[in-house]
Amino acid sequence: MRRPLHAGFASTAAAALILGACGGEAGERRPHIVGVGAELMAQEAPEAVGRPAYGGERGPRLADPSETAGRFPFYWTRAIYSGYGRGWYRRGGSWATDFPKGDRQFLVVLKRLVRLNAYDWENAVSLADPNLRKFPVLYAVEVGGMDMTEEEVEGLRGYLDAGGFLIVDDFWGQRQWDVFEYNLRRVYPDRQIVDIGLDHEIYSAYYDIEEVMQVPAIGRASRPAECWGCYPQVKGMYDDRGRLSVIINFNTDLGDAWEWAESPAYPLPYSTYAYEMGANMIVYAMSH
Amino acid sequence: MDVIFEFLFKYRALVFEQGELGFGAPASVRLWLGLAGLLGASAVATYTIARGRSSVADRGIMAALRVALLGVLVFCLMQPTLVLSTVVPQQNFVGVLIDDSRSMELENRDGTARSAFVAEAFTPGESPLIEQLSERFVLRFFRFSDGADRIDGLQELTFDGTHTRLGQALDAAREELSSVPLSGLVLVSDGADNDDRPLTEALLPLQAAGVPVFTVGVGEESIEPDIELGRVELPRAVLEGSTLMVDLVVTQNGFGRATVPIVVEDDTRILAEETVELGPDGEPVVARIGFELTQPGSRRVQFRIPPQPGERVDRNNQRNAWVEVRGEREKILYFEGEPRFEVKFMRRAVEDDDNLQLVVLQRTAESKFLRLSVTDSTELEFGFPTSREELYRYRSLVLGSAEASFFTHDQLQMIADFVSERGGSLLLLGGHSSFAEGGWEGTPVEEVMPVVLGAPQGGADGFFAEVKVEPTPAGLAHPAVQLDAEPAGVAARWDSLPPVTVVNPLTEVRPGATTLLEGRFGEGGPNQVILAFQRYGRGKSIALTAQDTWLWQMHADVSLEDQSHESFWKQMLRWLVDGVPDAVQVQADQEQVEPGETVRLVASVHDSTYIEVNDASVRAQVRSPSGIVEELPVEWTVETDGEYAVEFRPAEMGDYEIELRAERDGAPIGVDQTFIHAAPSDDEYFGAARRTDVLRRIAQETGGRFYTPEDVATLPEDITVTGAGVTLVEENDLWDMPVLFLLMLLLMGAEWGYRRVRGLV
Repeated sequence: MRRPLHAGFASTAAAALILGACGGEAGERRPHIVGVGAELMAQEAPEAVGRPAYGGERGPRLADPSETAGRFPFYWTRAIYSGYGRGWYRRGGSWATDFPKGDRQFLVVLKRLVRLNAYDWENAVSLADPNLRKFPVLYAVEVGGMDMTEEEVEGLRGYLDAGGFLIVDDFWGQRQWDVFEYNLRRVYPDRQIVDIGLDHEIYSAYYDIEEVMQVPAIGRASRPAECWGCYPQVKGMYDDRGRLSVIINFNTDLGDAWEWAESPAYPLPYSTYAYEMGANMIVYAMSH
Repeated sequence: MDVIFEFLFKYRALVFEQGELGFGAPASVRLWLGLAGLLGASAVATYTIARGRSSVADRGIMAALRVALLGVLVFCLMQPTLVLSTVVPQQNFVGVLIDDSRSMELENRDGTARSAFVAEAFTPGESPLIEQLSERFVLRFFRFSDGADRIDGLQELTFDGTHTRLGQALDAAREELSSVPLSGLVLVSDGADNDDRPLTEALLPLQAAGVPVFTVGVGEESIEPDIELGRVELPRAVLEGSTLMVDLVVTQNGFGRATVPIVVEDDTRILAEETVELGPDGEPVVARIGFELTQPGSRRVQFRIPPQPGERVDRNNQRNAWVEVRGEREKILYFEGEPRFEVKFMRRAVEDDDNLQLVVLQRTAESKFLRLSVTDSTELEFGFPTSREELYRYRSLVLGSAEASFFTHDQLQMIADFVSERGGSLLLLGGHSSFAEGGWEGTPVEEVMPVVLGAPQGGADGFFAEVKVEPTPAGLAHPAVQLDAEPAGVAARWDSLPPVTVVNPLTEVRPGATTLLEGRFGEGGPNQVILAFQRYGRGKSIALTAQDTWLWQMHADVSLEDQSHESFWKQMLRWLVDGVPDAVQVQADQEQVEPGETVRLVASVHDSTYIEVNDASVRAQVRSPSGIVEELPVEWTVETDGEYAVEFRPAEMGDYEIELRAERDGAPIGVDQTFIHAAPSDDEYFGAARRTDVLRRIAQETGGRFYTPEDVATLPEDITVTGAGVTLVEENDLWDMPVLFLLMLLLMGAEWGYRRVRGLV
């Protein structure tokens, strides 16, 4: 997660004008254009869902005795993996970047954009937890700090072999790529990581996306890239039957766009693209 | 017994049954006798009030004996007669129908063939039976098997007929002899009728015409030792690669509870082999055997039990059945109301099945759809079909979690008609917007559902339960839920699968629906219906109430090698498309015939909205085994809308290929194919034991009598007294029946004996 370091920064002023009406923090009346799901972006967890907030390393909400996995067709599930680096949630590793606000906000908007009967709360599950297999779509973030244990490697392999779909996001530069690739090679030593070109079905599963954008972290709108000369890439890994099972958003940070879409400081085109890509990845993962 | 009866009563029981009692004495004599009787009786009555050594009881008993004696005497003096209507000699005809089928050549335990009795008892000039019949009647002989023909003598019998059609034989003889006074028909057969037509249809005209049928049963009522394989039913057509589960009925006599093998094979290889433990004598047991059909085309499947040592008839140990294995790709429309993982995993489960095209229409937003596996860019471009023509292109429809209000009333009616009129299959999946929770109550589709909807329990805190799924007894026998190649392993496989979740509480099925899978909530309470189906109109509807069968693939308790989820969905979707009719269909009334036998081809012709077409031009192209092609016009039957029929006789041995084309105003409506197999029939060796019940029934319902070779000697006389035709009334005296004389002696002796015993002499 990137803190809004300079909310009044000139380069984000235009976005603030657009999103100002829904930006709770700005609180000023400004003319605005409503973008994709923009009116919802300021919302966090809906009040109607009044369940207690249970926490824990292996999935905060699964610890809630009043909740059972399976009640809803969809759970936005975040992978808990071992690693180094930051993490804002209860001293978690890099897996917890943007957690839980990013997940909650993503769900709020996603549910209005897509007719998705989704659980309203975040759901983080360890790669080594057998319960992971109850959630066929998985989101892993900041994998540049990943250092999986053997159990996690086994868990992820079993998950993907059984039919799970992994969305990877928010890691930058060659060093982080090497770390992630090393970890993914531990799962599948022989499978190729390939580019996912714009002619792939995933770009038209819900929205028609014609360009891969580099989505910046909050506060980096003027210079989105977090590394020298890096450009956004969407890569993937196919299973032995030619089915896409891993999608890798490299040199981009969709998660921050989801998390800060309501911020006047965050440029609308980026959050729009991030939500479009998010919707496409989920619709694709649930049907292919 | 009959001899004793005839000695005592002077005539046989049958004569008494047919005759009426009368009295020969004039009325005046009868009056005097009556008065005398009364006087005598009152004189005897005074006996009872006389005083003496005897008690009142003694006098009563003795008086009764005397009165009875007097009564017998008076009865004799009234000259009782039996009034009979008997046929006039040589004025009436009798038809003798002799079974000319192959089963008549079966041997009895003593080594003689059934046909030997025919030669012995019915050869004119040699047989006393025929001699007696000829004295009384004019005889006409018929032989029957597939049809019935007049014959001049027994030398024309071949005992090579492939069927025994009793009804047809009776009809033919009745019609042939309808213009002459007919006293009755004599039917000589083992009674092993294998006509599809009900026998009643032939008996009613005989009853109406008052023609009694006298049946003579030949052969044994039980053939021992013998094993017989019952009739095998296979679907007319299946998709290539389908697994068929077939129930085989095996009956034995004389082998005890032995275990025998059953082999299933086609023309090229053995498809399956099972063993079956035979039941007690005469009691059938059912053996379930599964096999896969992988090669497209018309396939002959043979089921066979190898002949057992000492078995008397081994030709009833095997059955042939034909099935058309279709290599087509069948289209199924799966409409899903929201993104759900069922779509992904169902698609994956059947992706390598070349015979299934699972077209997915998934609503992703209010009026936004994701189309998958469509044939071209125009397919479903405006969402769910709005016309019958568009919907009826699919053979089956799967409805996921979609609320009823999404559809227009016309679309709901169309979905119901898809099942009832088009004959498609409808599969309803569980989900938050399915069944009562999706507002389907009161819609036309509710009627189609095999489950009974309760009150909706939707919303945030709606019904939710995890259930462990297990097959019901019906499920264990159903091909759609066979997760294991071995029948014994099916229940264990289901038990090994993780629980699934349900959000639609459904515990009751409609009358006539069958539950295949149930879900246990825990101890007690009704079970959740997980999988149930029913026939509805021309099609079938199925409810699968779990919302996440994908757990059978993804769950950590399921090993990655486990194919349960894939097998389940492949079988389910194949079951959905199996038996779904096309717009044009042709079928033969028999799949196997003997060369020369008549085959009737019946076609049903519908347009693209499955409305019957009566003005089509329909032609059948028949290709014989040697390649000769014959074009036959197929005419509308008039009796049934959309039904066309034609008859033909295959002349060669082998497979006949029939292609039927229907056109209307020059535009093609549809094409269908079927096959007919011309081969020698073994029908006569199945159920070949003497069917006494059938023969007795024919006799009883027509007023005739059933005979065996042992008691057939009375047949001529019986026809004389019971037959129809030209008759005369005959009065037979009864006063001199020995039984009356014996009765008088008995009564007198009884009185005398009583006196001696009581010391009243």
